Amino acid sequence: MPTVTFVQSTGESIEVAVAEGTSLMRAAVTNGIDGIVGECGGQAMCATCHVFVRPEYAGALPPVSDDEDEMLDCTTSERTEASRLGCQVKVSAELPSIVVDVPADQV
Amino acid sequence: MSNQPNTATGCPFTGELPSDPAELAALMSTVPATHATDAPPAPGIEAPVADWVTIEDLVRDPFPIYRRMREEAPVHWVPAVNRYMVTSYAACHEIEQDEATYSADERNSLMKRSMGHSMLRKDNPKHQVDRDAYGATLRPGTIKKHWNAIFEANNERYLGELLAKGPGSDFVWDYAAPYTGENLRMVMGFKNATQQDLQRWSQTLIDGTGNYADDPEVWATAAASSDEVDTAVDEMLSHYVGNPDHSLLSGLASMPIPLEAIRANIKMTIGGGLNEPRDVLATTVWALLNNPEQLAAVKAEPRLHSVAFEESVRWVAPIGMYPRETTRDTVLGGVALPKGARLGVVLGAANRDPDVFEDPEAFNIFRPKKAHLGFGGGVHFCAGTWIARAQVAQVAMPSVFEKLPHLRLDPSSETTDAGWVFRGMTRMPVLWG
Repeated sequence: MPTVTFVQSTGESIEVAVAEGTSLMRAAVTNGIDGIVGECGGQAMCATCHVFVRPEYAGALPPVSDDEDEMLDCTTSERTEASRLGCQVKVSAELPSIVVDVPADQV
Repeated sequence: MSNQPNTATGCPFTGELPSDPAELAALMSTVPATHATDAPPAPGIEAPVADWVTIEDLVRDPFPIYRRMREEAPVHWVPAVNRYMVTSYAACHEIEQDEATYSADERNSLMKRSMGHSMLRKDNPKHQVDRDAYGATLRPGTIKKHWNAIFEANNERYLGELLAKGPGSDFVWDYAAPYTGENLRMVMGFKNATQQDLQRWSQTLIDGTGNYADDPEVWATAAASSDEVDTAVDEMLSHYVGNPDHSLLSGLASMPIPLEAIRANIKMTIGGGLNEPRDVLATTVWALLNNPEQLAAVKAEPRLHSVAFEESVRWVAPIGMYPRETTRDTVLGGVALPKGARLGVVLGAANRDPDVFEDPEAFNIFRPKKAHLGFGGGVHFCAGTWIARAQVAQVAMPSVFEKLPHLRLDPSSETTDAGWVFRGMTRMPVLWG
């Protein structure tokens, strides 16, 4: 099973295994990862599943869509080049593992 | 990891954040909400019966009722409203995250009867088809590029009308209602209606949606409005085929969505798009006028307008309750629910749950920020959230306090708030001289 590792701003790291096709947001919400809210359930409408993707995984990601881009402008923790919405990034055979940093502030 | 901030664009609603982390931390501390629930005991206890709850008391002031219910159990059977009421944050959140167990498509829905079968009462995948049809109209990018300037012009006009009417006029009915009504008219693209029509349609259709007392006059009035909206929608869909603009109806005119779905979704939007921003605007200003220290802080720091807005939505959720129906026997918060149980997800209670919010009955813009449930959650998360934030927190509130620096409640006249399914100010005379 693909794995997602969430690293909190405190340094705490939690790895979870999820089915292929699962979004990072769903992986976090299902596993009770603090700091990922996912208010809108994956509509790219709330910007509360903001994550920073570690650079070694960024190349395997789909590009940021226009909808995602405008929501990333509305994140609570400041947007960086590593910012993505967790609901728009899914684990798959091409992306069997990923490590992301959870922002200090999400709402 | 690169941490270079992208400062090329800022959120159109909250403005640029302070670059100094210490300044940001001082402005607002952030603590994640706790969502974890203990595993419910199987098979669950029978729901306590809250036969002491009356609709009249709920309309007047539901919060003491919610407090008593929450202290007893997260779920009650409430005979007066003929459904289970869910009042804890954890249980409401669990429902929002599990649409397979808690269906939005309830039987004998008052909303379906009043407005038709809109996306708000559909489960996925049907819900998503309707929701996607709304396209970019309500998204932050379109708001920034197109709607904000229109909201500013409307605000100037209706705040001007309040000023012209003079001290003692009503903040809700002489300003907040026509302002949000006109914004909604333009966002939806009703060139063939007035903001007064929108107000009347919204109130009568919503009265039907909340007609738990089954008053036949309420149904008759809602049906008349529904017919009027159908006629107006059909006319505008024809108009926009050859004359597209940024409005919702224009976008829908080119979509392969059945007319019945368009009509129902438009009625739902007329309801949610007017009363909710109107009520949040009035409630937030009322709360600030009653809390001078917080008002002074907001006046000194414009970024706190959006903080006050969110705290207001938490404190008095304008949509206080929405329905769900169980698709199987289940246990929620330790309480057994049979398949087909009709639930009321009481956001107005969840947002004051002391397990999540410290001193929850108080309006306090300085409280640690946590995720509230005021806009709902999951796939039905309010599609108008950003429109509401823009027209209320970004445009109206700063303007109100700038142009009426001595705004205050009229001490010689009564101020009232009411409602539980929908809640807001119903009378708010103000002075400013």
